[in-house]
Amino acid sequence: MAEPALKLDKLVKRFGTHAAVDGIDLAVAPGEFVTLLGPSGCGKTTTLNLIAGFLAPDGGHIQLGGRMVENLPPFQRDLGMVFQDYALFPHMTVADNVAFGLKMRKVAKGEISARVAEALALVKLDGFGARRPNQLSGGQRQRVALARALVIRPTMLLLDEPLSNLDLKLREEMRTEISSLQRRLGIATVFVTHDQGEALTMSDRIAVMRDGMIEQIGAPAEIYERPATRFVAGFIGSINMVPAKVDAIEGGAVRLATPAGPARARIDGVSAGAGVTLTVRPERLKLGPGAPADAVAWQARVERVVYTGARLEVQLALADGSSAMAEATNDGSTRFTAGQTTTLWFRPEDAWVIRESA
Amino acid sequence: MNKGPWTLLKVTVAVIYLFILGPILITAAVAFNGTNRSFFPPRGFSLRWWGEAFAPQWVQPLMFSLELAALTAVIATAIGVPLAFAFQRYDFPGKTIVRTITLGPLILPTLVTGIALLQFLTVIGLGRWLGYWALLIGHVIICLPFSVRTIAISLQAMPGSVEQAAANLGAGPLSVLRYVTFPIIMPGIFAGMAFAFIHSFTDINMSLFIAKPGQRPVTVAIMSFLDFGFAPTLAALSILSLLIPLVLIAVLGRFVGIGNFLYQEQGRG
Amino acid sequence: MIVSSARPRPIVPFLLVALPAAFLLVFFVIPTAFLLSASFIESDGVIMTGVWTTQNYADLLSRPLYQQAILRTFGIGIAVGVVVIVLSYPLAYFLVRTTSPWRGFLIALSLSPLLASVIVRTYGWWVILNREGAINSGLLALGIIDQPLALLPSSMAITIGLSHALLPYGVLTIMASLNGLNPNVERAAMSLGAGRVRTFLTVTLPLTWPGIVGGFLLAFAIAISAYATPAILGGPGTQVMATLIRSFMVQALDWALGSAMGAILLISSIALLLLTSALGGRRA
Repeated sequence: MAEPALKLDKLVKRFGTHAAVDGIDLAVAPGEFVTLLGPSGCGKTTTLNLIAGFLAPDGGHIQLGGRMVENLPPFQRDLGMVFQDYALFPHMTVADNVAFGLKMRKVAKGEISARVAEALALVKLDGFGARRPNQLSGGQRQRVALARALVIRPTMLLLDEPLSNLDLKLREEMRTEISSLQRRLGIATVFVTHDQGEALTMSDRIAVMRDGMIEQIGAPAEIYERPATRFVAGFIGSINMVPAKVDAIEGGAVRLATPAGPARARIDGVSAGAGVTLTVRPERLKLGPGAPADAVAWQARVERVVYTGARLEVQLALADGSSAMAEATNDGSTRFTAGQTTTLWFRPEDAWVIRESA
Repeated sequence: MNKGPWTLLKVTVAVIYLFILGPILITAAVAFNGTNRSFFPPRGFSLRWWGEAFAPQWVQPLMFSLELAALTAVIATAIGVPLAFAFQRYDFPGKTIVRTITLGPLILPTLVTGIALLQFLTVIGLGRWLGYWALLIGHVIICLPFSVRTIAISLQAMPGSVEQAAANLGAGPLSVLRYVTFPIIMPGIFAGMAFAFIHSFTDINMSLFIAKPGQRPVTVAIMSFLDFGFAPTLAALSILSLLIPLVLIAVLGRFVGIGNFLYQEQGRG
Repeated sequence: MIVSSARPRPIVPFLLVALPAAFLLVFFVIPTAFLLSASFIESDGVIMTGVWTTQNYADLLSRPLYQQAILRTFGIGIAVGVVVIVLSYPLAYFLVRTTSPWRGFLIALSLSPLLASVIVRTYGWWVILNREGAINSGLLALGIIDQPLALLPSSMAITIGLSHALLPYGVLTIMASLNGLNPNVERAAMSLGAGRVRTFLTVTLPLTWPGIVGGFLLAFAIAISAYATPAILGGPGTQVMATLIRSFMVQALDWALGSAMGAILLISSIALLLLTSALGGRRA
């Protein structure tokens, strides 16, 4: 197997007594796009700064392409980085900004101008070379920052919340653009964000972080559909979580007792009597008749219907008074009114059991 | 909306501007007097006071002031840059004390700093330094806070990510300083130098005690001549010595864009 | 912040600071400390005898001439502080709130006196106030008076001259404090039914009080140690501490009294500074 582009080994960084990064292991394969996702203060930016060399770790190792780098200063690590505020050099033109890394590497003049032009073309900024950063829009600055990071042909790309300063529409455009550029160049990338939408759409794998540790790492679908912990389940998308107790084991599935009623779901390796959490995404909850024979069906009362345009969010009260949410496509076929009693159902394969009690 | 109070405020502000600019404009007018007394409104018209202001008696102290202020500004900047970096970028034992001492001359009366230096140099037997060297030392001490603070402000205003970006692109610490940090804070360094220059050029409280005859800044020269009366020559000379810092600020504002710093600066003069 | 290296190097700040700190220690800290101790030593002219005494302070505080000068100095300081605030507040308020395209120019204009030496600024006042000056000749010409008024030398003239010279500091301090005020707070007060004047009195003024205190104390502190203005607009009958220090040090050559008077000024300034930070005044 090829050497990973980046390997973090039990990485630790403390600020005072607080461990901002508390023993992280991570391997990024060549060409892979890995996102560090988590709430602010979870240690994702600190991890990125450790990789870039702006902070020194208190423990553990960092390998870049098989090379131990934790004792190298940032300017010898050969990484391309895009900063949240872009960090363009305000006193230089766009072309000089992009050329900076090449000049530092003492690349020949002729080659510099060719590579700068190539990099600007790559980010669709041909002809902008003579401008100053303050003459550019936010999206253009973003592209310059990207060109500046890529032109040095770094071993990998680090992106520190590069989209958070852009407005919504531009942000979605840049998502696709960065993704396709990254795939085309096949450059290993670590991307830091607190935005689950960016993480889900752009990544090969997502590492969800909490309190300086990686809570779960996996492909977007895995993180979304098979969250390992209640934190991961709650952080990404909305989810219904019901405390449950394992009643009996039936082959690959288990029978569960919940305050809202009995349920069945798939899970391995639990014993009868264990406390677990039953989770179902709102879009997998169905309302009304039509439940197949093996479905889990509970009584529920409609509390409120929130209209969001393409979808309807139906807020429900379960038998024990706890609340749940179902999401329905606004296709005109269903009408819900507050106060109405209905059947709520889901297929056992649409539920996911987390081995944590509430 | 009721505009009455705002109009009243505008009128008040106009009167205050008259108060601010009046004496300076009157001084300028007096310098054109036809008589040898400082009358206002001027009686008659003459340019001879302007001519007299260029007599060696006045050009010599004017040049002395310019030279002293220029040298003071250069030294204060040379010392101010490392101090500003240390205060802004590092934590070290005794930082608070060193910073208090550096900014102290801004807060303590210059007059007292002046007599302290006079007394100290005399007592330790360096009285012969009084005059040029003592003036230079004294002026550097009282002008240093201006350069340190202005440079520190521009360092603070620069996002740290810019330097990180340079390091990330392969620039070593010295290259970062040379290609990124210094070019970005250069307007601040120039502004600090200009403030130091102006503060030195307009100083009287320090020079009063340690200047020696023959080596007197223009402010001290005017001050001692005032004992003999208020000749229109002094008005002309005052205006000339006002124009020098004005031109300096205008030129720097044009080429280095230090205008923003003038507004941020809140030191005492 | 880590700038260009991951490793902290304590030697770097030491190298940056050592020489300047040594320079300031030798030529600023030690002389100032020396001045304070010299004020407690008996001296014969400029020669110190080495005998410890509090006589210097006793002299300054008991002789009517010196007593009056100290009281006059602080009186002028308070008056200057008040005038500076009263004049600079409306100006600062206007400069912060105006939407005029001339705003930048007007700010520069209001601060421009900082570029001129105090002598230039004071000279104009002498021209205005002296026996043959603008005011007297104007009043005489209008027939309002038949004898020139003796406006100079006087404490009032000194107060006017110093207020004029220190106005920019008041403008800067109060502008900083007004700039720190969220304009929506004023809009909220008006939306709740307070008129412009009432809004100003109940919201703006209290919220900018630290700026007022800061500006007052700054003007006061500079005024009590000013030399040139009292020397030009005052006379033998209107001595202040700074002019006395000058005559002790240069004419009477009584360095012990000069040091003691300097020490009083120094300690007053430090006390004011502490008072300012205690009152939450804004100082840069």
